Amino acid sequence: MTLPIYLPLGLGALLFGLGLWGALTRTNAVRILMFIEIMLNGVNLNLITFSRYYWQQNAESAARAPIITLFIMTVAAAEASVGLAIILNVVRNRGSVDVDKINLMKG
Amino acid sequence: MGQYFMFTILSIVTLVSAYQMVRVRLITHAALFMALAFTAVAGIFLMMQAEFVAAIQILVYAGAITTMVIFAIMLSGLADIKSERAKKGGLWTKSDPFVLVVGAVFAAFMSYLYVAAKLPQAKSDKAMASVEAIGRSLFTTYMIPFEIASILLLIAMVGAIILTAKEAEQE
Repeated sequence: MTLPIYLPLGLGALLFGLGLWGALTRTNAVRILMFIEIMLNGVNLNLITFSRYYWQQNAESAARAPIITLFIMTVAAAEASVGLAIILNVVRNRGSVDVDKINLMKG
Repeated sequence: MGQYFMFTILSIVTLVSAYQMVRVRLITHAALFMALAFTAVAGIFLMMQAEFVAAIQILVYAGAITTMVIFAIMLSGLADIKSERAKKGGLWTKSDPFVLVVGAVFAAFMSYLYVAAKLPQAKSDKAMASVEAIGRSLFTTYMIPFEIASILLLIAMVGAIILTAKEAEQE
């Protein structure tokens, strides 16, 4: 690889930062869920980058990073499906997706 | 040289579409920008020779999750969910600059760490693990985590169905 390792790692960090920005400022619950997916993607990018540059020495450990990434994606898919189901329920019961207005448990 | 060119284009597409996700008003458009960002990241995975991860990325993220988000937006016939309400001063709320600084500081700090760590130059030019090797170790060494992941997906599916089908039951 001629590409310096800093570039993909920096892209992963920037993606995480952008996702953090979106997830903390938007009030629409669906949009927050989307930014969490973006943040997870930045993490995956870092993992795959490190694997590409350093973990290829023996065949035994080479397959680890794609498998961990697969599990991260599994958890992300499960989280997205349950999260969207919860959001749909909230919309039915409260008539709003604005997370600032979901204040039933507020003391 | 071609590598730099491809990486620049893909990262610009990724970052611009992630930025547009924050800025764009209609949430359907944000979902489509999310699909574009995921596809560009899949391109970077292909550059890293991780073709298995790239395929999973397109299938799961750009395919399934984007479709699910759009379905959820369409299913709830609420005007509120479709677009961010026009607030005073547009979408740029009071908390935006502060949190943008937080995100930028995080990204800068991580980049500083990567540079300061003086990571050694990549030692091997060996190819990434092939799909065959991944499958072999997934079904031998990582058999139990694989099965647990499938149970997790099953539980998530059942949970989502129970959560959303409650209303239809009562009608």
